[in-house]
Amino acid sequence: MDRLTRYLYTVASIVTLLALWYAGGVTLPEVVPGLPETYTALVVVLTTPGPYDHMFYFHVWKTIQMLFASLIVSMIAGTLLGVALGRSETLESTLATWVYAWLAIPSLVIVFVSAIWIGFDASSGYFAIPLVITPFVGLNMWEGARNLDDDLAEMAEFFGAGRVQTFTDIIIPQLAPFLFASFRSALSIGWKITLLVEAFLLTRGVGFMFRRYFDQYDLPTMMSWLIIFVVFLIVVEYGVLAPLHERVMEWRPDAEGVRVTE
Amino acid sequence: MTAAEEATVASENGDESGETLELRNIVKTFQKPGQGQILVLDEVDLDVEAGAFISLLGPSGCGKTTLMNVVSGLIEPDGGTMRRGGRDVSPDDLSLGYIFQEPRLLNWKTVAGNIEFALEARDVPEAEWDERIERYLEMVNLADEGDNYPTRLSGGMKQRVAIARALATEPEIMLMDEPFSSLDEITARDLRQELLDIWNREEKTILFVTHDINEAVFLSDYIYMMNTDGEMFARRDIDIDRPRQYDDPDIAQREAELYKEFHEQVVD
Repeated sequence: MDRLTRYLYTVASIVTLLALWYAGGVTLPEVVPGLPETYTALVVVLTTPGPYDHMFYFHVWKTIQMLFASLIVSMIAGTLLGVALGRSETLESTLATWVYAWLAIPSLVIVFVSAIWIGFDASSGYFAIPLVITPFVGLNMWEGARNLDDDLAEMAEFFGAGRVQTFTDIIIPQLAPFLFASFRSALSIGWKITLLVEAFLLTRGVGFMFRRYFDQYDLPTMMSWLIIFVVFLIVVEYGVLAPLHERVMEWRPDAEGVRVTE
Repeated sequence: MTAAEEATVASENGDESGETLELRNIVKTFQKPGQGQILVLDEVDLDVEAGAFISLLGPSGCGKTTLMNVVSGLIEPDGGTMRRGGRDVSPDDLSLGYIFQEPRLLNWKTVAGNIEFALEARDVPEAEWDERIERYLEMVNLADEGDNYPTRLSGGMKQRVAIARALATEPEIMLMDEPFSSLDEITARDLRQELLDIWNREEKTILFVTHDINEAVFLSDYIYMMNTDGEMFARRDIDIDRPRQYDDPDIAQREAELYKEFHEQVVD
Protein backbone atom coordinates (compact mmCIF):
# COMPACT_ATOMS: atom_id res chain seq x y z
CA MET A 1 0.00 0.00 0.00
CA ASP A 2 1.39 3.40 -0.86
CA ARG A 3 1.57 6.30 1.54
CA LEU A 4 -1.52 8.12 0.31
CA THR A 5 -3.76 5.04 0.52
CA ARG A 6 -2.54 4.31 4.05
CA TYR A 7 -3.21 7.91 5.03
CA LEU A 8 -6.71 7.74 3.56
CA TYR A 9 -7.51 4.58 5.51
CA THR A 10 -6.36 6.25 8.73
CA VAL A 11 -8.53 9.30 8.08
CA ALA A 12 -11.49 7.08 7.17
CA SER A 13 -11.16 5.14 10.42
CA ILE A 14 -11.11 8.35 12.49
CA VAL A 15 -14.17 9.72 10.68
CA THR A 16 -16.03 6.42 11.18
CA LEU A 17 -15.21 6.40 14.89
CA LEU A 18 -16.44 9.99 15.31
CA ALA A 19 -19.67 9.16 13.45
CA LEU A 20 -20.28 6.08 15.62
CA TRP A 21 -19.55 8.12 18.71
CA TYR A 22 -21.99 10.82 17.66
CA ALA A 23 -24.71 8.26 16.91
CA GLY A 24 -24.03 6.53 20.26
CA GLY A 25 -24.27 9.83 22.13
CA VAL A 26 -27.66 10.54 20.54
CA THR A 27 -29.19 7.08 21.11
CA LEU A 28 -27.67 6.24 24.53
CA PRO A 29 -27.10 9.61 26.23
CA GLU A 30 -26.82 8.12 29.75
CA VAL A 31 -23.94 5.85 28.76
CA VAL A 32 -22.03 7.54 25.96
CA PRO A 33 -20.97 11.17 26.48
CA GLY A 34 -22.22 13.14 23.50
CA LEU A 35 -19.71 14.28 20.92
CA PRO A 36 -20.68 17.99 21.08
CA GLU A 37 -20.73 17.93 24.92
CA THR A 38 -17.31 16.31 24.98
CA TYR A 39 -15.98 18.92 22.58
CA THR A 40 -17.28 21.71 24.81
CA ALA A 41 -15.80 20.04 27.91
CA LEU A 42 -12.48 19.59 26.11
CA VAL A 43 -12.35 23.30 25.26
CA VAL A 44 -13.06 24.15 28.89
CA VAL A 45 -10.35 21.77 30.15
CA LEU A 46 -7.84 23.17 27.68
CA THR A 47 -8.55 26.84 28.35
CA THR A 48 -9.52 27.29 32.01
CA PRO A 49 -7.69 26.43 35.23
CA GLY A 50 -9.16 23.45 37.08
CA PRO A 51 -8.90 22.41 40.73
CA TYR A 52 -6.16 24.14 42.77
CA ASP A 53 -5.91 26.66 39.95
CA HIS A 54 -3.81 24.36 37.75
CA MET A 55 -4.05 24.35 33.98
CA PHE A 56 -4.37 21.03 32.15
CA TYR A 57 -0.69 20.93 31.20
CA PHE A 58 0.31 20.97 34.86
CA HIS A 59 -1.55 17.69 35.40
CA VAL A 60 -0.36 16.19 32.15
CA TRP A 61 3.22 17.15 33.00
CA LYS A 62 2.97 15.59 36.47
CA THR A 63 1.67 12.37 34.97
CA ILE A 64 4.36 12.33 32.30
CA GLN A 65 7.02 12.98 34.90
CA MET A 66 5.98 10.05 37.03
CA LEU A 67 5.40 7.78 34.05
CA PHE A 68 8.72 8.45 32.30
CA ALA A 69 10.84 8.42 35.45
CA SER A 70 9.34 5.00 36.19
CA LEU A 71 9.92 3.86 32.61
CA ILE A 72 13.60 4.77 32.76
CA VAL A 73 14.08 2.90 36.03
CA SER A 74 12.14 -0.13 34.74
CA MET A 75 13.94 -0.26 31.42
CA ILE A 76 17.31 -0.34 33.14
CA ALA A 77 16.31 -2.76 35.89
CA GLY A 78 14.27 -4.97 33.54
CA THR A 79 17.05 -5.16 30.94
CA LEU A 80 19.61 -6.14 33.56
CA LEU A 81 17.22 -8.72 34.96
CA GLY A 82 16.29 -10.12 31.55
CA VAL A 83 19.86 -10.33 30.25
CA ALA A 84 20.97 -11.97 33.51
CA LEU A 85 18.20 -14.55 33.19
CA GLY A 86 18.86 -15.15 29.50
CA ARG A 87 22.61 -15.58 29.83
CA SER A 88 22.94 -17.54 33.07
CA GLU A 89 21.28 -20.90 33.48
CA THR A 90 21.88 -20.76 37.22
CA LEU A 91 20.06 -17.47 37.60
CA GLU A 92 17.34 -18.66 35.26
CA SER A 93 16.58 -21.74 37.30
CA THR A 94 16.83 -19.79 40.57
CA LEU A 95 14.73 -16.80 39.61
CA ALA A 96 12.32 -17.83 36.84
CA THR A 97 9.54 -18.92 39.21
CA TRP A 98 9.77 -15.67 41.13
CA VAL A 99 9.58 -13.57 38.01
CA TYR A 100 6.34 -15.31 37.07
CA ALA A 101 5.07 -14.91 40.63
CA TRP A 102 5.96 -11.23 40.46
CA LEU A 103 4.04 -10.89 37.19
CA ALA A 104 1.02 -12.50 38.83
CA ILE A 105 0.70 -9.88 41.59
CA PRO A 106 -2.16 -7.55 40.62
CA SER A 107 -0.99 -3.98 40.04
CA LEU A 108 -3.76 -2.74 42.31
CA VAL A 109 -2.33 -4.72 45.20
CA ILE A 110 1.13 -3.28 44.59
CA VAL A 111 -0.32 0.25 44.56
CA PHE A 112 -2.26 -0.29 47.80
CA VAL A 113 0.65 -1.93 49.58
CA SER A 114 2.96 0.91 48.50
CA ALA A 115 0.50 3.41 49.99
CA ILE A 116 0.51 1.55 53.30
CA TRP A 117 4.29 1.22 53.33
CA ILE A 118 5.23 4.65 52.05
CA GLY A 119 2.20 6.90 52.37
CA PHE A 120 -0.25 8.85 50.30
CA ASP A 121 2.24 10.86 48.27
CA ALA A 122 4.19 10.76 45.03
CA SER A 123 6.96 8.57 46.48
CA SER A 124 4.52 5.67 46.56
CA GLY A 125 4.00 6.13 42.85
CA TYR A 126 7.73 6.21 42.15
CA PHE A 127 7.98 2.96 44.08
CA ALA A 128 4.90 1.15 42.82
CA ILE A 129 5.02 1.90 39.10
CA PRO A 130 8.54 0.59 38.40
CA LEU A 131 7.69 -2.41 40.57
CA VAL A 132 4.75 -3.22 38.32
CA ILE A 133 6.46 -2.62 34.95
CA THR A 134 9.93 -4.07 35.55
CA PRO A 135 8.96 -7.77 35.21
CA PHE A 136 7.27 -7.09 31.87
CA VAL A 137 10.46 -5.49 30.56
CA GLY A 138 12.45 -8.33 32.13
CA LEU A 139 10.33 -10.96 30.40
CA ASN A 140 10.85 -9.34 27.01
CA MET A 141 14.59 -8.87 27.43
CA TRP A 142 14.91 -12.41 28.76
CA GLU A 143 13.55 -13.68 25.47
CA GLY A 144 15.93 -11.36 23.60
CA ALA A 145 18.96 -12.44 25.59
CA ARG A 146 18.11 -16.11 25.07
CA ASN A 147 18.14 -15.58 21.31
CA LEU A 148 21.56 -13.94 21.11
CA ASP A 149 23.51 -15.47 18.25
CA ASP A 150 26.41 -17.59 19.54
CA ASP A 151 27.94 -17.76 16.07
CA LEU A 152 28.34 -13.99 15.97
CA ALA A 153 29.82 -14.03 19.46
CA GLU A 154 32.33 -16.64 18.29
CA MET A 155 33.17 -14.54 15.24
CA ALA A 156 33.76 -11.50 17.46
CA GLU A 157 35.89 -13.58 19.82
CA PHE A 158 37.96 -14.89 16.94
CA PHE A 159 38.73 -11.42 15.60
CA GLY A 160 39.60 -10.34 19.13
CA ALA A 161 36.83 -7.82 19.76
CA GLY A 162 36.95 -6.36 23.26
CA ARG A 163 34.07 -6.22 25.73
CA VAL A 164 32.96 -2.74 24.73
CA GLN A 165 33.03 -3.45 21.01
CA THR A 166 31.23 -6.75 21.47
CA PHE A 167 28.56 -5.05 23.56
CA THR A 168 27.92 -2.11 21.24
CA ASP A 169 28.29 -3.87 17.89
CA ILE A 170 27.05 -7.40 18.63
CA ILE A 171 24.81 -7.48 21.72
CA ILE A 172 22.90 -4.18 21.62
CA PRO A 173 21.86 -4.41 17.94
CA GLN A 174 20.45 -7.89 18.56
CA LEU A 175 18.55 -6.65 21.61
CA ALA A 176 17.28 -3.49 19.89
CA PRO A 177 13.96 -4.95 18.65
CA PHE A 178 13.32 -6.32 22.14
CA LEU A 179 14.16 -2.95 23.70
CA PHE A 180 11.55 -1.31 21.49
CA ALA A 181 8.95 -3.95 22.24
CA SER A 182 9.73 -3.65 25.96
CA PHE A 183 9.45 0.10 25.94
CA ARG A 184 6.14 0.01 24.12
CA SER A 185 4.57 -2.49 26.48
CA ALA A 186 6.09 -0.70 29.50
CA LEU A 187 4.62 2.57 28.25
CA SER A 188 1.13 1.17 27.76
CA ILE A 189 1.11 -0.71 31.09
CA GLY A 190 2.91 2.09 32.92
CA TRP A 191 0.48 4.82 32.07
CA LYS A 192 -2.44 2.74 33.35
CA ILE A 193 -0.69 2.18 36.67
CA THR A 194 0.26 5.84 36.86
CA LEU A 195 -3.43 6.72 36.56
CA LEU A 196 -4.30 4.22 39.28
CA VAL A 197 -1.74 5.75 41.62
CA GLU A 198 -2.93 9.26 40.88
CA ALA A 199 -6.60 8.33 41.21
CA PHE A 200 -6.19 6.56 44.54
CA LEU A 201 -3.34 8.36 46.25
CA LEU A 202 -2.65 11.80 44.81
CA THR A 203 -4.26 15.18 44.22
CA ARG A 204 -2.70 16.03 40.89
CA GLY A 205 -2.16 14.41 37.51
CA VAL A 206 -4.46 12.98 34.87
CA GLY A 207 -5.55 10.09 37.11
CA PHE A 208 -6.64 12.49 39.83
CA MET A 209 -8.73 14.42 37.29
CA PHE A 210 -10.49 11.21 36.23
CA ARG A 211 -11.26 10.46 39.85
CA ARG A 212 -12.52 13.97 40.49
CA TYR A 213 -14.90 14.04 37.51
CA PHE A 214 -15.94 10.47 38.20
CA ASP A 215 -17.08 11.67 41.64
CA GLN A 216 -19.10 14.37 39.89
CA TYR A 217 -20.37 11.85 37.35
CA ASP A 218 -19.13 14.18 34.59
CA LEU A 219 -18.62 11.86 31.64
CA PRO A 220 -17.78 14.47 28.96
CA THR A 221 -14.91 15.91 31.04
CA MET A 222 -13.54 12.43 31.81
CA MET A 223 -13.67 11.78 28.10
CA SER A 224 -11.75 15.00 27.42
CA TRP A 225 -8.95 13.94 29.72
CA LEU A 226 -8.84 10.56 28.08
CA ILE A 227 -8.54 12.22 24.68
CA ILE A 228 -5.73 14.50 25.88
CA PHE A 229 -3.64 11.61 27.12
CA VAL A 230 -4.36 9.23 24.27
CA VAL A 231 -3.36 11.98 21.84
CA PHE A 232 -0.14 12.42 23.80
CA LEU A 233 0.64 8.69 23.61
CA ILE A 234 -0.07 8.59 19.89
CA VAL A 235 2.28 11.54 19.39
CA VAL A 236 4.97 9.67 21.33
CA GLU A 237 4.45 6.59 19.17
CA TYR A 238 4.36 8.26 15.76
CA GLY A 239 6.57 11.21 16.59
CA VAL A 240 9.34 9.47 18.51
CA LEU A 241 9.18 5.68 18.72
CA ALA A 242 8.24 4.78 15.16
CA PRO A 243 10.83 7.08 13.48
CA LEU A 244 13.49 5.94 15.94
CA HIS A 245 12.58 2.30 15.34
CA GLU A 246 12.76 2.84 11.60
CA ARG A 247 16.17 4.44 11.93
CA VAL A 248 17.60 1.72 14.11
CA MET A 249 16.14 -1.01 11.90
CA GLU A 250 17.28 0.67 8.68
CA TRP A 251 19.31 -2.40 7.74
CA ARG A 252 16.28 -4.64 7.46
CA PRO A 253 15.33 -5.36 3.84
CA ASP A 254 11.70 -4.40 4.51
CA ALA A 255 12.65 -1.32 6.49
CA GLU A 256 10.66 1.05 4.29
CA GLY A 257 7.74 2.01 6.49
CA VAL A 258 8.21 0.00 9.67
CA ARG A 259 4.69 -0.69 10.80
CA VAL A 260 3.47 0.49 14.16
CA THR A 261 2.09 -2.59 15.82
CA GLU A 262 1.28 -1.66 19.39
CA MET B 1 57.97 -24.50 -8.01
CA THR B 2 54.94 -24.98 -5.81
CA ALA B 3 53.75 -22.38 -3.37
CA ALA B 4 54.95 -24.58 -0.53
CA GLU B 5 58.46 -24.68 -1.95
CA GLU B 6 58.48 -20.97 -2.48
CA ALA B 7 57.57 -20.47 1.15
CA THR B 8 60.40 -22.75 2.21
CA VAL B 9 62.79 -20.52 0.28
CA ALA B 10 61.32 -17.47 1.99
CA SER B 11 61.92 -19.01 5.39
CA GLU B 12 65.65 -19.20 4.80
CA ASN B 13 66.12 -15.54 5.59
CA GLY B 14 65.13 -16.20 9.20
CA ASP B 15 61.48 -15.31 8.80
CA GLU B 16 59.69 -17.72 11.10
CA SER B 17 56.34 -17.18 9.38
CA GLY B 18 57.67 -19.20 6.45
CA GLU B 19 58.03 -22.29 8.62
CA THR B 20 55.60 -25.17 8.77
CA LEU B 21 53.11 -25.12 11.61
CA GLU B 22 53.24 -28.55 13.21
CA LEU B 23 50.46 -29.95 15.38
CA ARG B 24 51.27 -33.17 17.14
CA ASN B 25 49.17 -35.63 19.15
CA ILE B 26 46.23 -33.27 19.49
CA VAL B 27 43.57 -34.79 21.75
CA LYS B 28 40.15 -33.35 22.44
CA THR B 29 37.19 -34.87 24.23
CA PHE B 30 33.79 -33.35 24.72
CA GLN B 31 31.22 -34.05 27.38
CA LYS B 32 27.96 -34.86 25.64
CA PRO B 33 24.77 -35.04 27.66
CA GLY B 34 23.63 -38.65 27.88
CA GLN B 35 26.62 -40.04 25.97
CA GLY B 36 29.44 -39.31 28.39
CA GLN B 37 32.89 -38.52 27.06
CA ILE B 38 33.22 -38.34 23.29
CA LEU B 39 36.69 -38.52 21.79
CA VAL B 40 36.65 -35.99 18.94
CA LEU B 41 40.35 -35.80 18.16
CA ASP B 42 42.45 -38.90 18.79
CA GLU B 43 46.15 -37.95 18.80
CA VAL B 44 45.93 -36.09 15.54
CA ASP B 45 48.96 -34.72 13.65
CA LEU B 46 48.72 -31.89 11.16
CA ASP B 47 51.34 -30.01 9.14
CA VAL B 48 50.33 -26.62 7.84
CA GLU B 49 53.04 -25.80 5.30
CA ALA B 50 53.46 -22.13 4.57
CA GLY B 51 51.85 -21.10 1.31
CA ALA B 52 50.07 -24.40 0.81
CA PHE B 53 46.40 -25.12 0.23
CA ILE B 54 45.51 -27.84 2.70
CA SER B 55 42.16 -29.55 3.10
CA LEU B 56 40.78 -31.45 6.07
CA LEU B 57 38.42 -33.96 4.53
CA GLY B 58 35.98 -36.22 6.31
CA PRO B 59 32.35 -37.06 6.91
CA SER B 60 30.12 -34.81 8.98
CA GLY B 61 30.84 -34.87 12.68
CA CYS B 62 34.38 -36.22 12.37
CA GLY B 63 36.09 -33.39 14.23
CA LYS B 64 37.46 -31.42 11.27
CA THR B 65 36.03 -28.17 12.56
CA THR B 66 37.23 -28.97 16.07
CA LEU B 67 40.75 -29.45 14.77
CA MET B 68 40.59 -26.15 12.92
CA ASN B 69 39.30 -24.44 16.04
CA VAL B 70 42.29 -25.76 17.92
CA VAL B 71 44.43 -23.87 15.40
CA SER B 72 42.17 -20.81 15.68
CA GLY B 73 42.31 -20.78 19.47
CA LEU B 74 38.54 -21.01 19.84
CA ILE B 75 38.99 -24.48 21.35
CA GLU B 76 41.59 -25.45 23.91
CA PRO B 77 42.87 -29.01 23.23
CA ASP B 78 43.17 -31.51 26.10
CA GLY B 79 46.62 -32.53 24.92
CA GLY B 80 49.19 -32.16 22.17
CA THR B 81 51.61 -29.56 20.94
CA MET B 82 51.67 -26.83 18.35
CA ARG B 83 55.14 -25.87 17.16
CA ARG B 84 56.68 -23.78 14.46
CA GLY B 85 60.34 -23.39 13.60
CA GLY B 86 61.25 -25.56 16.58
CA ARG B 87 59.37 -23.42 19.08
CA ASP B 88 56.03 -23.84 20.85
CA VAL B 89 53.42 -21.43 19.55
CA SER B 90 49.91 -20.57 20.64
CA PRO B 91 47.10 -19.40 18.33
CA ASP B 92 47.75 -15.85 19.58
CA ASP B 93 51.18 -15.96 17.97
CA LEU B 94 49.71 -16.79 14.57
CA SER B 95 48.28 -14.40 12.05
CA LEU B 96 44.92 -15.94 11.24
CA GLY B 97 41.77 -15.16 9.28
CA TYR B 98 38.59 -17.18 9.63
CA ILE B 99 35.82 -17.77 7.11
CA PHE B 100 32.97 -19.64 8.69
CA GLN B 101 30.43 -21.94 7.12
CA GLU B 102 27.87 -19.16 7.40
CA PRO B 103 28.94 -15.61 6.50
CA ARG B 104 28.37 -14.46 10.11
CA LEU B 105 28.00 -10.84 9.08
CA LEU B 106 26.52 -8.11 11.22
CA ASN B 107 23.29 -7.38 9.37
CA TRP B 108 22.97 -3.98 11.05
CA LYS B 109 26.26 -2.76 9.61
CA THR B 110 27.07 -2.00 6.00
CA VAL B 111 29.45 -4.22 4.07
CA ALA B 112 32.24 -1.72 4.76
CA GLY B 113 31.12 -1.51 8.40
CA ASN B 114 31.48 -5.27 8.74
CA ILE B 115 35.06 -5.10 7.57
CA GLU B 116 35.68 -2.17 9.91
CA PHE B 117 34.42 -4.33 12.75
CA ALA B 118 37.22 -6.84 12.15
CA LEU B 119 39.83 -4.11 11.62
CA GLU B 120 38.84 -2.41 14.87
CA ALA B 121 38.88 -5.73 16.73
CA ARG B 122 42.36 -6.39 15.37
CA ASP B 123 43.56 -2.89 16.37
CA VAL B 124 44.42 -1.92 12.81
CA PRO B 125 45.09 1.86 12.75
CA GLU B 126 42.02 3.72 11.56
CA ALA B 127 44.03 5.55 8.91
CA GLU B 128 44.41 2.27 7.00
CA TRP B 129 40.77 1.22 7.05
CA ASP B 130 39.48 2.90 3.91
CA GLU B 131 42.35 1.70 1.80
CA ARG B 132 42.05 -1.88 3.02
CA ILE B 133 38.27 -1.97 2.62
CA GLU B 134 38.55 -0.73 -0.93
CA ARG B 135 41.36 -3.09 -1.80
CA TYR B 136 39.76 -6.25 -0.46
CA LEU B 137 36.23 -5.53 -1.61
CA GLU B 138 37.66 -5.08 -5.05
CA MET B 139 39.52 -8.37 -4.68
CA VAL B 140 36.24 -10.23 -4.10
CA ASN B 141 34.48 -8.24 -6.86
CA LEU B 142 32.25 -6.24 -4.52
CA ALA B 143 33.83 -2.83 -5.05
CA ASP B 144 30.44 -1.11 -5.37
CA GLU B 145 28.74 -2.73 -2.40
CA GLY B 146 30.57 -1.05 0.48
CA ASP B 147 27.57 1.05 1.51
CA ASN B 148 25.04 -1.73 1.04
CA TYR B 149 23.61 -3.85 3.83
CA PRO B 150 24.28 -7.62 3.91
CA THR B 151 20.54 -8.35 4.03
CA ARG B 152 20.30 -7.02 0.49
CA LEU B 153 23.01 -9.34 -0.85
CA SER B 154 22.78 -12.90 -2.18
CA GLY B 155 24.29 -15.84 -0.29
CA GLY B 156 27.34 -15.90 -2.54
CA MET B 157 27.91 -12.17 -2.15
CA LYS B 158 27.64 -12.44 1.64
CA GLN B 159 30.29 -15.13 1.66
CA ARG B 160 32.49 -12.88 -0.49
CA VAL B 161 32.11 -10.17 2.15
CA ALA B 162 33.17 -12.70 4.78
CA ILE B 163 36.22 -13.52 2.68
CA ALA B 164 37.03 -9.82 2.27
CA ARG B 165 36.64 -9.35 6.03
CA ALA B 166 39.14 -12.12 6.71
CA LEU B 167 41.54 -10.88 4.03
CA ALA B 168 41.37 -7.31 5.30
CA THR B 169 43.06 -8.30 8.54
CA GLU B 170 45.90 -9.48 6.25
CA PRO B 171 46.36 -12.88 7.85
CA GLU B 172 49.07 -15.29 6.91
CA ILE B 173 46.86 -18.35 7.34
CA MET B 174 43.22 -18.40 6.28
CA LEU B 175 41.01 -20.89 8.05
CA MET B 176 37.94 -21.85 6.03
CA ASP B 177 35.19 -24.05 7.41
CA GLU B 178 33.07 -25.46 4.57
CA PRO B 179 32.61 -21.90 3.31
CA PHE B 180 30.85 -22.86 0.09
CA SER B 181 28.71 -25.76 1.30
CA SER B 182 25.51 -23.75 1.58
CA LEU B 183 25.84 -22.12 -1.85
CA ASP B 184 24.46 -23.39 -5.12
CA GLU B 185 27.02 -25.27 -7.18
CA ILE B 186 27.39 -22.59 -9.88
CA THR B 187 28.13 -19.86 -7.35
CA ALA B 188 30.36 -22.20 -5.39
CA ARG B 189 32.45 -23.01 -8.48
CA ASP B 190 32.93 -19.34 -9.27
CA LEU B 191 33.99 -18.65 -5.71
CA ARG B 192 36.41 -21.59 -5.62
CA GLN B 193 38.07 -20.29 -8.74
CA GLU B 194 38.31 -16.79 -7.30
CA LEU B 195 39.63 -18.16 -4.05
CA LEU B 196 42.42 -19.99 -5.89
CA ASP B 197 43.29 -16.77 -7.74
CA ILE B 198 43.50 -14.84 -4.48
CA TRP B 199 45.46 -17.60 -2.78
CA ASN B 200 47.92 -17.64 -5.65
CA ARG B 201 48.30 -13.87 -5.90
CA GLU B 202 48.37 -13.02 -2.19
CA GLU B 203 50.54 -16.01 -1.24
CA LYS B 204 48.30 -17.07 1.62
CA THR B 205 48.28 -20.36 3.43
CA ILE B 206 44.80 -21.87 3.45
CA LEU B 207 43.47 -24.54 5.77
CA PHE B 208 40.18 -25.66 4.33
CA VAL B 209 37.60 -27.93 5.94
CA THR B 210 35.24 -29.81 3.65
CA HIS B 211 33.27 -33.04 3.31
CA ASP B 212 33.24 -32.71 -0.47
CA ILE B 213 35.97 -34.91 -2.01
CA ASN B 214 35.74 -33.22 -5.39
CA GLU B 215 36.12 -29.78 -3.84
CA ALA B 216 39.11 -30.93 -1.81
CA VAL B 217 40.86 -32.47 -4.83
CA PHE B 218 40.19 -29.45 -7.03
CA LEU B 219 41.54 -26.97 -4.47
CA SER B 220 44.28 -28.63 -2.46
CA ASP B 221 47.98 -29.26 -2.53
CA TYR B 222 47.46 -32.01 0.01
CA ILE B 223 44.57 -33.47 1.90
CA TYR B 224 44.22 -34.85 5.41
CA MET B 225 41.56 -37.51 5.74
CA MET B 226 39.66 -38.06 8.96
CA ASN B 227 37.14 -40.67 10.08
CA THR B 228 34.32 -40.47 12.57
CA ASP B 229 36.45 -41.95 15.37
CA GLY B 230 38.44 -38.74 15.50
CA GLU B 231 41.43 -40.33 13.77
CA MET B 232 43.46 -38.75 11.01
CA PHE B 233 44.05 -41.85 8.89
CA ALA B 234 45.87 -40.50 5.85
CA ARG B 235 47.62 -37.60 4.20
CA ARG B 236 47.39 -37.56 0.42
CA ASP B 237 49.13 -35.20 -1.99
CA ILE B 238 47.31 -33.93 -5.05
CA ASP B 239 49.94 -33.66 -7.77
CA ILE B 240 47.79 -32.21 -10.47
CA ASP B 241 49.10 -29.16 -12.33
CA ARG B 242 47.48 -25.82 -11.74
CA PRO B 243 45.41 -24.13 -13.04
CA ARG B 244 43.10 -27.12 -12.74
CA GLN B 245 39.92 -27.76 -14.69
CA TYR B 246 36.79 -29.23 -13.18
CA ASP B 247 36.42 -31.70 -16.03
CA ASP B 248 40.04 -32.85 -15.87
CA PRO B 249 39.99 -36.69 -15.82
CA ASP B 250 42.93 -36.64 -13.38
CA ILE B 251 40.73 -34.93 -10.83
CA ALA B 252 37.95 -37.46 -11.32
CA GLN B 253 40.41 -40.30 -10.96
CA ARG B 254 42.01 -38.91 -7.78
CA GLU B 255 38.56 -38.31 -6.38
CA ALA B 256 37.63 -41.95 -7.04
CA GLU B 257 40.80 -43.17 -5.32
CA LEU B 258 40.18 -41.07 -2.24
CA TYR B 259 36.56 -42.13 -2.11
CA LYS B 260 37.67 -45.76 -2.14
CA GLU B 261 39.99 -45.13 0.77
CA PHE B 262 37.20 -43.50 2.74
CA HIS B 263 34.86 -46.31 1.95
CA GLU B 264 37.34 -48.90 3.20
CA GLN B 265 37.75 -46.93 6.43
CA VAL B 266 34.01 -46.96 7.02
CA VAL B 267 33.69 -50.69 6.25
CA ASP B 268 36.54 -51.62 8.62
